[in-house]
Amino acid sequence: MAMEPGFPKQEPSDFIFNHPSEDGEGAMETNTKEGEVAKVEFEASEIEYVSYGGEHHLPLVMNLVDQELSEPYSIFTYRYFVYLWPQLSFLAFHKGKCVGTVVCKMGEHRNTFRGYIAMLVVIKPYRGKGIATELVTRSIKVMMESGCEEVTLEAEVTNKGALALYGRLGFIRAKRLYHYYLNGVDAFRLKLLFPRPELHPSLPVMADVDDNHSSHHGPSEE
Amino acid sequence: MAEMRTDEAAFGVAISGRTSIPSGENSVWADVSPLLEAACEDLQEGELIHGDNFNLFAAMSALEIMDPKMDSGIVCTYYSLEEAIENGAAPVPISVDKTTDIRCTIDIMDHLLACEATWHKGHSLAQTVYSCLYLLRPERTLSHALLHAYCKVIHVTCKAVLSVVSDARTHEEEDLFTMAYGLPLGGGDRDERCLSMLNAVEETISRQLRACKASSSKRRLLEDIEPLQSNPDLEEGYCRALLCRLRFRKHFYHLLMSMKRPQGRGLELARKHIASCILELDGCLKSSEFLRASAHGMCEKNIQDTTASGCQAIGFDASLNCRLSAPTPPRSIKILSWVKAIEYFLKLLRDLDIVCSYSLVPSLEAALHFVIKFQKSQPDLVARSHLQLLLVQDGKLYGQIPIFAVITGAAGLPEVTNDHDIQKNEFVVQLGQLVINLLKILCTNAAWQRRKLGKMLQDWRVTYVQLELAFKNEFGEGSKPSNNELRFKIFQQILMWVEEQTYWIASRFLILGFELELYSVHDYYMVYWYIYAILIKLAEKTHLRIVMNNSTAKKKAKKKRDSFKDAGRDYQISAAVLFLQSQIYLAEGLSMMFAALRNEHIILAPQGPFNTEHEIFIQQFELLQKACLPDHVSYMSFKESTKLVNFSTLAMCDYFKEAQRIAKDVKSSFANDPDKMAELRRVEQVAEHNNIALNVICRVGAIDPSLKVTFEFSHHPFFATAIVKRS
Ligand SMILES: CC(C)(COP(=O)(O)OP(=O)(O)OC[C@H]1O[C@@H](n2cnc3c(N)ncnc32)[C@H](O)[C@@H]1OP(=O)(O)O)[C@@H](O)C(=O)NCCC(=O)NCCS
Ligand SMILES: CC(C)(COP(=O)(O)OP(=O)(O)OC[C@H]1O[C@@H](n2cnc3c(N)ncnc32)[C@H](O)[C@@H]1OP(=O)(O)O)[C@@H](O)C(=O)NCCC(=O)NCCS
Repeated sequence: MAMEPGFPKQEPSDFIFNHPSEDGEGAMETNTKEGEVAKVEFEASEIEYVSYGGEHHLPLVMNLVDQELSEPYSIFTYRYFVYLWPQLSFLAFHKGKCVGTVVCKMGEHRNTFRGYIAMLVVIKPYRGKGIATELVTRSIKVMMESGCEEVTLEAEVTNKGALALYGRLGFIRAKRLYHYYLNGVDAFRLKLLFPRPELHPSLPVMADVDDNHSSHHGPSEE
Repeated sequence: MAEMRTDEAAFGVAISGRTSIPSGENSVWADVSPLLEAACEDLQEGELIHGDNFNLFAAMSALEIMDPKMDSGIVCTYYSLEEAIENGAAPVPISVDKTTDIRCTIDIMDHLLACEATWHKGHSLAQTVYSCLYLLRPERTLSHALLHAYCKVIHVTCKAVLSVVSDARTHEEEDLFTMAYGLPLGGGDRDERCLSMLNAVEETISRQLRACKASSSKRRLLEDIEPLQSNPDLEEGYCRALLCRLRFRKHFYHLLMSMKRPQGRGLELARKHIASCILELDGCLKSSEFLRASAHGMCEKNIQDTTASGCQAIGFDASLNCRLSAPTPPRSIKILSWVKAIEYFLKLLRDLDIVCSYSLVPSLEAALHFVIKFQKSQPDLVARSHLQLLLVQDGKLYGQIPIFAVITGAAGLPEVTNDHDIQKNEFVVQLGQLVINLLKILCTNAAWQRRKLGKMLQDWRVTYVQLELAFKNEFGEGSKPSNNELRFKIFQQILMWVEEQTYWIASRFLILGFELELYSVHDYYMVYWYIYAILIKLAEKTHLRIVMNNSTAKKKAKKKRDSFKDAGRDYQISAAVLFLQSQIYLAEGLSMMFAALRNEHIILAPQGPFNTEHEIFIQQFELLQKACLPDHVSYMSFKESTKLVNFSTLAMCDYFKEAQRIAKDVKSSFANDPDKMAELRRVEQVAEHNNIALNVICRVGAIDPSLKVTFEFSHHPFFATAIVKRS
């Protein structure tokens, strides 16, 4: 192969996404810094959301992530995501300018089919207006429709903004990863579990698979 | 590794022609440029290789050559250590001027200390301590006795610390710590030689100190002693600054060696060295005023403040090692400041002192409590590793007590059972392994600990079920057999204890979630409910065990006609359960308070677009549910017991008052146990505050929509205190 792997940056399983943002140190500080950033006035309806559409979008995505996250990703990393799961990546545009993006993947993981949010960025002048929420919501919906059972990601424990955002979407902090980032900061592994039909008898979907599934989950009293 | 070497050698050959790794028997060097060019031609822009072996890991590991963010090769100042040395990056002596030489040597010592602390805090050895070029070529400093001795002791110290941590290793996520590929650790010399060198320089410098302090009359007698350096005004200050640094190293090394002795035999001696280390570090701190003053304006400013003098230390280059030591990213790491490094060492010493002061009480319960208490001060990896090695050596508790004896002791069985051949039962063996793992896991950092405890619950549960099955197979469902009473009894009591211990682990697992900030306020409601459910079971099992132990004890006592002690024992027993009881009421009260706050819409439950509270419950307690801890507990039972709670029903239940009352009553039984006393006091406080808060809410809550209820952990680490405000 033309590409020789260099040094592994971390264990294969520890993706270093959702990484310390360049302005880093979580949202508390981001907030004060954002004060200095000139906010752009716009209506929510002026923002256009597009699914990843091809190589012409790649520089936009890379540019945004490079700006906001400290971790250096090779072009292969980006391509890995956007070529394999173009339907899970979205971009937000305002008057032709790319102002936010989300990059994700999904796949089999220890006998579950799960989605993973790798990168999420909204540029500073556009923050706090629900753009990120809209971006991830779109990805998560596609994941759900594609049969994912859950969605995961990692976020720095100090990134209050991201934690609040995901908390509102129903993510829980499943575990804490000690010194996860190379700057020594811990991360939370966040998880969102989708409802399984058999636990919600009111939902009409797939009532006939009920019995096969409920057996291997904890005791449930009727 | 193979790629790394190729890459490095290629650079070496192409650029300086200096590094040359000869072709081996099965390998020759080849120019890959044409191949690379052809490969580039082959791939059009926008194409991606699809291959089974090109996964995310491969994609992330790919480098863009010549991109300074990724290519560690190009950030280096020098291509090789040799080149750095030839360029005078690490001169020996550091200066021909003796005074400058001493000043710079002290800076190197200080920067090394800062590097060492940074390493202990979890960075790679290569990018911290071994960024020191002098350490990388130990033979070069031979002519500089002071620097040489210091470098040697650093070598052996690092080696010793490394071995403690890797011996204790439970695969915490602190792997970087133990990576030491290709570094000249220990320097090849015998450790004792390093100590004699250190002693020799210390001896010389203390004579020099004496000489410069002596009155002029005596000075003549000491004439033959050459001063440390050339400026008489600075002689005393430099001698002192060096002595405390050297002595710290000496005692620190001795400390490590004493702690290494088996079965805790060196602990007492270790404490003496700890006291000396603290004294010398204090001396180092005090020397900093003198060092700053005498270095003023003489050197390049040290922006990271890694030295006492404020000067940049000579002879360090972290980038050289980047390429040597896969897998380190090109990013340079931030070395702790010298003051922070001293603070780190002081904390380490205090933590080690706690470890050394432990009296190795021969009981599992005591050991478990000791670890939990020790962890409260959040000790770092090195201190935790030492504790772990003390607790578990050769598969025995403290290296002394066989694990089966530990188990029978914990299960309240008499000593005669220690040799019973039931210990050969495969599930009993398995249980022994679980106990050892438990002790080790409790010594790890809280994040890792919680995950491992969570997983371990399943193992405890399975072992319980297997033991129970073996028990039933052997004895049937019927009553006590007459022929093998002892075996029956051992089985029975171990089984009971396993259950109790499992619930103990479960409660620890849940409680750690608070320390790790895993729960949001909205989760508290179900978390306290679950804690309550677990604690009830724990209390029940504890009670059963104590009653059973007691009946054993009574029988014995009767034989000895000594029923006097008995009464005291009985009292003690119910105290342990009452202690839990106070926490149970508190947990129940909190979960019911949260339920009422939600049911009365004072706290609004969040509703995400994708899932419900049910999914949150499943996720939070998945590991407990899988292990049936407790049996018959589910989301349904949780909802069942909380859905009708409101303030009028709550007011009648008095959970907090009960908690407070029990805590108060039971205190007298723990007069000799300061830890339990402190916990009871905390429980009392939280209960009292929450009771008041609850009364306020009950009185005005329903009619006053502006009421705001928030929660704090001001009185207790995991039982929240409600704060009521009107906005
Ligand atoms: C990979 C490893 C870091 C975590 O795997 P594990 O033991 O199964 O522990 P966990 O299940 O808690 O961790 C795996 C999960 O954390 C994620 N993870 C990846 N890197 C991680 C890291 N550095 N820290 C924590 N979690 C990590 C995994 O993707 C996985 O996600 P999931 O739980 O959502 O499925 C680690 O255990 C490992 O392989 N260590 C070496 C072998 C070992 O430790 N053996 C046990 C001896 S005690
Ligand atoms: C995190 C980030 C993507 C959020 O983008 P955004 O468009 O501002 O987010 P939204 O406007 O959709 O925020 C939705 C909710 O998240 C929370 N939130 C977002 N930013 C927050 C902040 N700085 N402080 C506190 N809460 C915040 C709020 O609850 C907010 O809802 P509200 O405004 O109604 O109160 C953006 O700040 C960013 O790009 N940060 C740098 C990169 C990064 O950290 N990525 C995430 C890695 S996990």
